[in-house]
Amino acid sequence: MLSIPTLFGVLVVVFLLLYVAPGDPVQEMVGERADAETIARLRKELKLDEPLIKQFTHYTSGVLKGDFGNSYITQRPIIQDIRERFPKTLLLAGSAMLLASILGITIGVLSARHPGGWFDRLGLGLAYLGISFPVYWVGLILILVFAVMLRWLPPSGYGGIEYLILPAFALGSRSIAFLARVTRSAMLDVLNSDYVRTARAKGLVERVVVVRHALRNALIPIITVLGLDFGYYLTGSILTETIFSWPGIGRYVVNAITRRDLPAIQGSVLFLSVVFVLVNLITDLAYAKADPRVAYS
Amino acid sequence: MRRLLLLVAPAIIGCGGGDGGSAPARNTIIDSRDTYDPRSMDPALSTDVPTGRVVAYLFDGLTRFTPDARVVPGLAKSWEISPDGLTYTFHLRNGVKFHDGRPFAAKHVLGSFQRVLNPATKGGRGWPLYPIRGAEDYAAGKSGAAISGLAAPNDSTVIITLKEPLAIFPKLLAMPVASIVPDNPGSDFGQKPIGTGPWKFVEWRHDDYIKFAKNAEYFDGPPKTDSLMARIIPERSTATAEFESGNVDVLNVNEQESRTWEADPEKKKLLQSAAALRFWYVAMNVTRGPLRDVRVRQALNHAVNVPTMLQQVMGGRGAVAAGVIPPTLGGADTTRRGYTYDVAKAKQLLAQAGYANGIDLELWTANTDASPRIAQTIQANLAEAGIRVKLVSRDASSMREASRKGETDLALKEWWADYPDAENFLGPLLHSRNKGVGGNVSFWGNPQFDRLVDDARGEQDEARRSQLYTQADQIAFNEAPMLFLFFYKDLYAIQPWISGFTVPAVFSAQRWTDVTIQK
Repeated sequence: MLSIPTLFGVLVVVFLLLYVAPGDPVQEMVGERADAETIARLRKELKLDEPLIKQFTHYTSGVLKGDFGNSYITQRPIIQDIRERFPKTLLLAGSAMLLASILGITIGVLSARHPGGWFDRLGLGLAYLGISFPVYWVGLILILVFAVMLRWLPPSGYGGIEYLILPAFALGSRSIAFLARVTRSAMLDVLNSDYVRTARAKGLVERVVVVRHALRNALIPIITVLGLDFGYYLTGSILTETIFSWPGIGRYVVNAITRRDLPAIQGSVLFLSVVFVLVNLITDLAYAKADPRVAYS
Repeated sequence: MRRLLLLVAPAIIGCGGGDGGSAPARNTIIDSRDTYDPRSMDPALSTDVPTGRVVAYLFDGLTRFTPDARVVPGLAKSWEISPDGLTYTFHLRNGVKFHDGRPFAAKHVLGSFQRVLNPATKGGRGWPLYPIRGAEDYAAGKSGAAISGLAAPNDSTVIITLKEPLAIFPKLLAMPVASIVPDNPGSDFGQKPIGTGPWKFVEWRHDDYIKFAKNAEYFDGPPKTDSLMARIIPERSTATAEFESGNVDVLNVNEQESRTWEADPEKKKLLQSAAALRFWYVAMNVTRGPLRDVRVRQALNHAVNVPTMLQQVMGGRGAVAAGVIPPTLGGADTTRRGYTYDVAKAKQLLAQAGYANGIDLELWTANTDASPRIAQTIQANLAEAGIRVKLVSRDASSMREASRKGETDLALKEWWADYPDAENFLGPLLHSRNKGVGGNVSFWGNPQFDRLVDDARGEQDEARRSQLYTQADQIAFNEAPMLFLFFYKDLYAIQPWISGFTVPAVFSAQRWTDVTIQK
């Protein structure tokens, strides 16, 4: 229930920040060469000359009716821009997350089976590399190897699954490493616990012990990491989208900020805040599903 | 981040293209130059480079630019100028059709110009049409429903009367904003444009690509290739990878990568360069502190080693500036030498101005592309002459606002010409009328300079006009309201299967009509 005040706070902060930040949307619209009269006229047309509180109430009443306004620069409705781009970001973030969970959890579980073994040490090394490399560097290396040298995949753009693989891997690479580490330590805790010993003692095969008894109980920290990362991916995939020319919402926000397109910035930040709040909510609900001790009344 | 990219980028160039470039099966030309989504496809909103390019594909103006920066007839097949230089009579082409089949006529010219100037359009670029009598009043909402200087006596004639003689007017009409649109364009015209141009609109996937198909009925002959695609690729290293993979046909080579390309004999064959109408300079605000003194401004010009900077930072991509007129335009004095790099002389000039202990200045720079590196080089050079520079790095928007308000001592700027004429450099950058938002962020004003530029604007005789420009440029050079850096040189890589492409001098002047893919 804290979500509504949170979102209102976001709205106020974004509005005020943009008001005090340097740069002017009208000067961005007119380009390098203009005259003072045109600028004054446009400010008036866009109601930028009105008092801040009036602009704010006007904007907020629009938002409450589901109207995010039109972009100053492109004159297109913001909601339409978001509708075009967000599904693409969702697809990229979802694929990155899926890839990261499959690889990360698998590596983590296998590492925990024989701590200190060759697989554990290899996994640990790769995890450190994955966490250390910045995403844009990984992205460019992936393009270089798989697109330019081997020509297996297209370097950039949006289209079928072949366009998705490289960016999803670049975006997910950090998570694979992080998830592997978290899974490994959570699994080690659980595997040393009494009930696992009991499960083994009653003669269950090792696969069942690991998957049904141990992994299930190690899920809470894994879900936390997944939830946090997913929110981050939806809002923070800007670099990946830029490097792979992926037409998602991250690039949209950056372009809007570059051009001081106030309605576009406000609309997309507000929208992404809603998404973030929702993802957190889903994560909380997933806890309850994973751990019967967690209950929400 | 940039440094890491630099490490990777040459590797991309080094590794690709192993198969020697076999022609692709596609019959679509693919361009990779746009780094961000166009604002719109509506000519009235063409205030940025990607929009201007798209508009030039889809529409025609009364005149148009050729890639080598000449102005030739467009929808007007010819025109006459009255002896007083005030009235232009344009004779329009007959039989031209818009992409939806409607015939083009004189009324569309009037309608299009009104639309650009109409405050409700919220385009923000009326100035190329302001020379028309009554246009500025109309844009200000002062003169009712008509523009007094526009008339269409019949379907194939347009008569335009100007406020004052303006010899460069046909060049202004070749700008994308002066393109002709049909009646009642509608509110989604920017998404579903209909023009008379060589290419028809097919599809726009925002932040991804725009597709065009050839207009088989184009009045100047249809394009030689079936379709055209403008891809939007924000990261230039990615564009390089796309080029190496053979997925795009033309690449704007990065400054930092130029040397790598030129060093490889195979790659070198693909390169094509041309002088661009782009000027790098540092505006000095002549109303602030020591910069009021011309000797200080000259000292700055002597203290910076421009030729070395050009080689080291820009990969040799440009020509040292001695004035503001690019050497390819009429009025440029190609015998004039730039300020010599002479630290002793700079110190001497500073001492004469009473600043023997040096001065402190702020240099503002945008934090994109080559700007930060150029700014750092200038800072290091100036330090040797006792000029202590504090760098202020901001995003382009904040910096532009600060310099327009007169809050910057020094501002590193790059100017892209809108039309190929010396006036497009002398006027916006230095005429006193354009102080601040008009483009003159040196806030310099010189009555003699203003008069020469104003006289040139009305002068129909090309040679005489060039003379006036040269004189004005000489005054600016002596008074040094800016640090003259260099005129940029474009360097493109073009796939071996592409023929008929020339690097355009003005960004909107390459319309791909003569370009073919060799099978």
